[in-house]
Amino acid sequence: MHSQVIAKQELAAFVENLLRQGEVVGVRRKDGKYVFDKIGSPGELCLDYDVTVLSPKEYFLPQREAFLKFELAEAIKAEPITQAQRRIILGVHPYDIKAIQLMDAVFSKDNPDPNYFRKREAATIIGVDCLNPSPHAFCASVGTATAESGFDLLLTDIGAEYVVAIGSAKGEELLQKHAKTRDASDGDLSKGKTARDEAARKYQLSAPVSLDQIPRLLEENYDHPLWEELAQKCLSCGSCTMVCPTCVCFDVQEDVALTLTTGERYRQWDSCLLEDFAKVATGENFRQHRSTRLRHRYFRKGKYMMERFGIQGCVGCGRCITACLAEIASPVDTYSRLKGGS
Amino acid sequence: MKPKVAFFDFTGCEGCQLEAINFEQELLDIISAVDIVNFREAMTERSDDYDIAFIDGAISTERDIARIKEIRGRAKILVPIGACACIGGINCLKNFYSMDEALKIVYGDDAKYYDTIPARPIDAVVPVEHYVRGCPMTQSEFLKVVKALLQGKRPDIPNYPVCVECKMAGNVCVFEKGETCLGPVTRAGCGALCVSNGRICWGCRGLVDNPNADSEKEILKKHGLSVEQVLSRFRMFDGYSEVAK
Repeated sequence: MHSQVIAKQELAAFVENLLRQGEVVGVRRKDGKYVFDKIGSPGELCLDYDVTVLSPKEYFLPQREAFLKFELAEAIKAEPITQAQRRIILGVHPYDIKAIQLMDAVFSKDNPDPNYFRKREAATIIGVDCLNPSPHAFCASVGTATAESGFDLLLTDIGAEYVVAIGSAKGEELLQKHAKTRDASDGDLSKGKTARDEAARKYQLSAPVSLDQIPRLLEENYDHPLWEELAQKCLSCGSCTMVCPTCVCFDVQEDVALTLTTGERYRQWDSCLLEDFAKVATGENFRQHRSTRLRHRYFRKGKYMMERFGIQGCVGCGRCITACLAEIASPVDTYSRLKGGS
Repeated sequence: MKPKVAFFDFTGCEGCQLEAINFEQELLDIISAVDIVNFREAMTERSDDYDIAFIDGAISTERDIARIKEIRGRAKILVPIGACACIGGINCLKNFYSMDEALKIVYGDDAKYYDTIPARPIDAVVPVEHYVRGCPMTQSEFLKVVKALLQGKRPDIPNYPVCVECKMAGNVCVFEKGETCLGPVTRAGCGALCVSNGRICWGCRGLVDNPNADSEKEILKKHGLSVEQVLSRFRMFDGYSEVAK
């Protein structure tokens, strides 16, 4: 993989060119925070943000997505819907890139999910190194502060220029066609590394145990009183999972027209924190209590994902910590408490 | 055989019936799918023969109690629409006064001509089958309930808080903007309409099934509300519920 360098004023021209190619999603400001959204001009784009409210997950797994349309005639007709808009997603941080790689693993297992992969294939990911992390992030301690793969291009701010790491042939072509760049020198690369190293030291939080110890820590503390204690405060509002870049659970529903002759089947984000998540047709609820739902989230992130996919289910972005009004969703705090008590 | 549908109004602004009339895209489909036989706000014909009764407004007089029981007796399916009918809504603000005091505040010297009882939702008097919540009622939920009834199914109404839809909408949390809201305990289904438009959630759709109201109250207090202010938040729409007491 070789790298290029692009001057900051040239980046705007590059974005202009990308906008002519099709939809460009980037990070912009909203109410004092940052969000991924469609970009209309390079000026709207923000590349030195800390974290976005939602991850770019929605561009691969939309909040609500119809995947089957049907007609209820004499003979029932059904047709799959697999839509994929060509799209460039600009400004994805390494932890979100890692989260997308985790989603790739989840959606390719057993039956590859066509709706997910159509969108994945139609998307170009241009990442940017996170040099000013959110006060709630702990990426440096979980190996997600930087990314070596999972992107088409990755920018690193080195002052007046960006180092552009090329991650795929698609990325390389895009750069060649639409950007004025020069080859990166050893000096440029070393500036990029220095910027990342300095950023790594800015993280205010770090995971209290190493990743490989988390499954065991959880296993030994399945009946720890902490779960009940946290559940007293838990609102079961699902915010921690909605903002999580690695939460991929969805519910499947159908909607029919008033004429009852046509309809669609859709999926929509779901959350294991919600009361009805594990409720089945007879009314039985396998995780009726808040404490069991709350505990499940930690086990899913820390243990089950590791067991099933060999990947830690938390990328340390800290969005759950920010989103949780009850202040009980922090993996850092929870693992510390479990460690202290075990 | 199309189901016969009736609309009735009790204590409220009748805005929920207006929402039913306000369907633009779907109105023709609705009237093709059902026979509307009684709808004072929209038509002159009236019939006491109906299958489904949609009820707008809260119960706030003894006469209301007799009337809703009579409607319940005729309808196979009874569905309160809107906050007043579903949870009592703003009518229940008066429940925190004595009825004499409330009458005097509203009617002054004419208070003697009126009677009133503490306001209550429809299901406090008669059993109901489903709910269409919101102030005014959420139109998409009304359609959902109508479609479910046409199919003989149970409508799938969210039993999760507004936070879910608010996060899905990509909103910056109200609390992060230095304000407070009832989204964490309020039943979703509105698509976080108010927060998405720069306001806060006042809880017009009522509570989820098992709200952690104690935690929500603690959070509101931590964000600067006094105990009285916390209660008055809940009393705005949900004064009839235990959490407002």
